[in-house]
Amino acid sequence: MAEIFSEVYNCYFQVIKSLIEKKDRISKKELDFRIRDEGFEESLFYLFPKLAKDGWGFYEKDGAGVFKSRLSTDFYVPFTDMQRSYLKTILKDDKIRLFLDDKEIDCINAALGDAEPLYLPEDFYYYDRFSDKDDYTDPKYIRHFRMLLEAIENREYLDIDYESRTGQRVRHNYLPCRLEYSIKNDRFRLLAVDKHALRNPRVETLNLNRITQIIPSGETAERLPDINRALKRSYYKEPARILIKNRRNALERAMLQFANYDMHTRKIDGDTYECLIYYNKRTETELLIEVLSFGPMIKVVGNEDFLRLLKERLRRQYAMFEGE
Amino acid sequence: MSEFNELIKSFSKSREFVRDFFVYGFKTRDEFAGWSSRTYDNERRRLESWLSGYVRQDYTEKGKNIYLSIDSNLLDTNPLYRVWKAKSFTDNDIMLHFYIIDFLLKEGGRTADGITDGLLDRYGVFIDAQTVRRKCNEYAGEGIFRKTKEGREIVYSLNASPRGLFDEYPALLAAVKLYQLISPLGVLGSTVMENLGFKNDLFRVKHSFFAHTLEDEVLLELLRAMRKESAAAIKLKSSKNEKEHEQDGVPLGIFTSTRTGRRYVCLYIEEKKRFVCFRLDAVKAVSVGDKCTEYGELREKLDKNKSRAWGVSFHNDNRTHTERVKLTVRIDEKTEEHILNRFKREGKGGALSRIAPDIFTYETEVFDANEMLPWIRSFTGRIIKLESDSEKLCRLFKRDFCETYKMYFDAEE
Repeated sequence: MAEIFSEVYNCYFQVIKSLIEKKDRISKKELDFRIRDEGFEESLFYLFPKLAKDGWGFYEKDGAGVFKSRLSTDFYVPFTDMQRSYLKTILKDDKIRLFLDDKEIDCINAALGDAEPLYLPEDFYYYDRFSDKDDYTDPKYIRHFRMLLEAIENREYLDIDYESRTGQRVRHNYLPCRLEYSIKNDRFRLLAVDKHALRNPRVETLNLNRITQIIPSGETAERLPDINRALKRSYYKEPARILIKNRRNALERAMLQFANYDMHTRKIDGDTYECLIYYNKRTETELLIEVLSFGPMIKVVGNEDFLRLLKERLRRQYAMFEGE
Repeated sequence: MSEFNELIKSFSKSREFVRDFFVYGFKTRDEFAGWSSRTYDNERRRLESWLSGYVRQDYTEKGKNIYLSIDSNLLDTNPLYRVWKAKSFTDNDIMLHFYIIDFLLKEGGRTADGITDGLLDRYGVFIDAQTVRRKCNEYAGEGIFRKTKEGREIVYSLNASPRGLFDEYPALLAAVKLYQLISPLGVLGSTVMENLGFKNDLFRVKHSFFAHTLEDEVLLELLRAMRKESAAAIKLKSSKNEKEHEQDGVPLGIFTSTRTGRRYVCLYIEEKKRFVCFRLDAVKAVSVGDKCTEYGELREKLDKNKSRAWGVSFHNDNRTHTERVKLTVRIDEKTEEHILNRFKREGKGGALSRIAPDIFTYETEVFDANEMLPWIRSFTGRIIKLESDSEKLCRLFKRDFCETYKMYFDAEE
């Protein structure tokens, strides 16, 4: 039975394939660089001595120290059945129509032959997912989605009309950088940078379902800004600092739940752990809600602002119980 | 002492190590119970090699600890997929892979003997015909080669290049860039991208739990059982006492929490005549059993029951069918519409009613009201009253709140 853990997908196989399919002659320096770049950290020590005559012989070394490939630059590896099945699987998902129309889906399905999907969407049940998902069948939504993808690929500025949560309509000239999909919300958001703030870029987040109109500007940027740097810069300098008492399985629950934040945990005594969680304005309320859901299993000790938000909620709740 | 190798033979052992480093990054070498120091050193070194860039280290009084720092919001792919790409292989495996594919690419279909001769003539590589045949059959089984009968001979040829499909439908590539990041078994999407030499430069994901990929092997087996409408035997290991036991049942669905990061397989257990969910990260092995003739009916029954389950529990301690929960909350109608929206979108169909200006009730009936406790707590600061058939829920809510309050205010107020 075909397995995911197979040498066919092995990193070394991929590195060598990538080396030989691009050029038939390569310098030692470039080989070195490419293996370091595409392989694991220690791959170079294992892979490099094996590539030439004394190993697997995929390369011949000439007098000038250049490595000449003995394999064709047309080299390709056909998909495995499992990869074809995976592609058939994603064709069953409702978001696929953001990319392809029904006719294209049928043609791709036919081209993939008789491979069976690995699963159907209904095999998975996201039991606490929000119910107000985006409508992936809305023609306007599909059109906007495709325009945004194209703009990211072409680094094109767009004029975007947007209706804010309060019903206010605004228009900005944005450089779209990425589309972000939220698994919890089942919706897409655009991560973009305002044209007028490119020097010191701040990542703006726009819900796709609130975009009312997109007008291409025809103007392109030389390169996309480093949005990771911008996003990291948006994190508060002081992380939320929480203490976790390891009872009622709280440690494992917290470690798993907060795993998708940039976090750092250390043990401070027998059964107490300190966890630093980095977050920004955009994720503050969400983090607060998550922290509250743990009840007395975790205690916030910093930063001051986050602690104040939490205490406000507790005071309000206390007053409500008092008035009961 | 054997030489260190960054590749591994079996995934299951490394699954445990990576999970422990990822989830419990605060452990020092001495705290990894049950591992010899050599095992710890080797596994740590492998982890550092596979996931360089994501591994950080920290020094505590008890010694050095290493941990994985993965901010999923900032990444184009799941770095833990790399663990799947560390399978060890033999010299023959890699030579046959590249030389046979290259040979068939240039020469078209050949018999195993023809390929054996071709490898010697063209590349000066001698590998016996039986080994070549075995590899060809393996690749035909994987779908990489086509195997046809010509007269009395078996001819192997290379299947088509995947590039054609993506040249014709470039939007499919954009779709793979998304799905490798968000779909179950997304690691296969990442192998598709690697095969084509592309990277994701379009999408990001939020609320994704990257550690889920470590369960993909058992997940795939469970999905195989589900697609075949079969029963399965699953081997489970308790995280509390490390004890292993086997459970037979009919896998009907994978239940996923988008908030807590937990995933479960929902089994129908014949002897108990009920649905029970088991944590996927506790499943160590799966063997697919016989076809279940009532599969369709069981699945229908589960679909009906799902609406009454708040999470993954289908029964309660009170031996009642369902438990009622009523929450009375204060919400400023003018400025806090987003809180009302929270009840609508997170409340799983519960009834929200306005009973007075700025006062609302939310009512629902679920199999196990205790599962609602974390969600109810998230409305702390607004809860006027909590009523339920489950006394335990009300008691726990009040007790936990008092305890929480004391943690912050007892000293000052």
